[in-house]
Amino acid sequence: MINLIKSEVLKVRSTQVWMWMILPAVALTGLATAGTVYGSITDNEQIGVPIRYYDIFTQSGGAAVALLVIGILGLTTEFRHKTITPTLLATPSRTRVVIGKALSYSLFAVFYALVCGVVNFAIAIIWLNAKNVPLDFGHGVVMGVVKALLALVLTALFGLGLGAMVRNQAAAMVIGILYFAIISNLLGIIPWVRKAYPYTPGGAIRAFTSNGSTRDTASDVHMLVPVVGGLVFLAWAVLLLVSGGYLSLKRDIS
Amino acid sequence: MTVEQPAPPSQQPTAAPPGFGHDRSDGRIVIDNLTKVFGTQRAVDSLSFTVEPGSVTGFLGPNGAGKTTTLRMLLGLIQPTSGTATINGVTYPHLQRPLETVGAALEASSFHPAHTGLQHLRIYCAAAGLPARRADEVLELVGLASAAKKKTKGYSMGMRQRLALAATLLGDPKVLILDEPANGLDPEGIRWLRGFFRHLAGEGRTVLVSSHQLTEVQAVADRAVILNQGRLVRAGTIEELSAGTSMAIVRGPDLRPLQRALADAGLTGTTELDGSLRVRIDELTQIGHLAFVNGVELHELRLEEFDLERLFFTLTEGEHRGADLDARPPLGQVALNTPGGAK
Repeated sequence: MINLIKSEVLKVRSTQVWMWMILPAVALTGLATAGTVYGSITDNEQIGVPIRYYDIFTQSGGAAVALLVIGILGLTTEFRHKTITPTLLATPSRTRVVIGKALSYSLFAVFYALVCGVVNFAIAIIWLNAKNVPLDFGHGVVMGVVKALLALVLTALFGLGLGAMVRNQAAAMVIGILYFAIISNLLGIIPWVRKAYPYTPGGAIRAFTSNGSTRDTASDVHMLVPVVGGLVFLAWAVLLLVSGGYLSLKRDIS
Repeated sequence: MTVEQPAPPSQQPTAAPPGFGHDRSDGRIVIDNLTKVFGTQRAVDSLSFTVEPGSVTGFLGPNGAGKTTTLRMLLGLIQPTSGTATINGVTYPHLQRPLETVGAALEASSFHPAHTGLQHLRIYCAAAGLPARRADEVLELVGLASAAKKKTKGYSMGMRQRLALAATLLGDPKVLILDEPANGLDPEGIRWLRGFFRHLAGEGRTVLVSSHQLTEVQAVADRAVILNQGRLVRAGTIEELSAGTSMAIVRGPDLRPLQRALADAGLTGTTELDGSLRVRIDELTQIGHLAFVNGVELHELRLEEFDLERLFFTLTEGEHRGADLDARPPLGQVALNTPGGAK
């Protein structure tokens, strides 16, 4: 399995996609951190709202889109460029190929999370110090950072599963990005459908990365508790990986 | 698009350094009653044949004959409807170290366009647990060292073929399975490929090569397996396939006395529209002698020797396609009567 992971990591590293994807991830993280710090300090100064440390230090989610895309590319690229043939010749067990990709993309997710986390913390700490705001890593911040990292890993796995299900690279990209950017939010406000929203991938990951609040301020829906939200999102990722992997890799490679 | 030409390939391919190719099994390929049905079409139909170790076997058939489907079933990429295909007695997915047992090149386009040739090979070195330097060695072996750091999207067809061949050699395998490896190669490349095959077979490797370049196959193959419409139509050594297929062509102003003498000697021939006489025979001495003793004037007496291409077209064209072959007449007669027989 170590060889397989090395091979998969090399595949991604050998293209420049991972490098180009980290730039918008860092930019989004920086912008989100700056916006949150600014808003929190302003609210604190003007209306006395306590500094929202949890929100400030869990803004590495800017990498989520990048990891969703990298995950989607995992299998769709293999089919698009027919490299699935040499991949399966080197590793005939299709299950091992999917597991190897899942583990490799988890490593990339951790790497992205660390890079974006450093950016998040650097901007936040510098800004808070400049404003003489004391640093406080209580309020669930440490757990929030861990959950943010895990959310990125799960997002990469979700993307890998989505790519395995859809197979068409462009279609998988459009579906994945549209879903998390627009459709998921719409599901949270449409009557009747909103009852199911907490169990959708978007609702579940939002619950997982929340600070334990069970009511989502954006959709006013009663959300799952974080750990259950994480498990539901994990279940979605595994469901997509298993079913997509089955559909994509059980078929004849001709 | 600028296409960089690869460096001239080594004239005498060199063996891989020791330490690779851990699988020392015999390298025998056995296809046993293999069948694949796509919808209502039987792409491969009860196919059975064996590829012997240390031989170059040509796997021949017209487009759509089922060659690629057979090779993909052999490599575990397509699930057979029934039957088995094994290498060293096991199916490909059950090989312990597949790249060190079998090297396979199925199409010269299975590359990520943003990867360099070297990166492409190193990815599969990593997957197989081979040292990265092996990628450099096989690129040198196929004459692509100068293009190692060029992205594959800039490779010509010939360079892609060489890169696909390089990938087959990564694990220094005992068995090589190649699908149309000569496609896109220039004459120099084809000549190199011929030497390459001979060298590989000389090392005791099993080479199964599908090709439509029949002259090339005949030049290098020890055996041939001919497939049509998913069914085996002929298999054997080149000597077995060529037995009784040579044809004497005789021309002269009046061949009737010779025809009578040939009939008396138990030899049959046919007269063509241009007046020439065609006689199935493996050498010319007897005909020359009969012509001499019967005072027959000859303007031409030559032997048309075995031609794999002619045999191929005889077996795969016209009335003798596919299922009809069960009722085929003797090969020599087919060659005489089939329009494509004298190609």
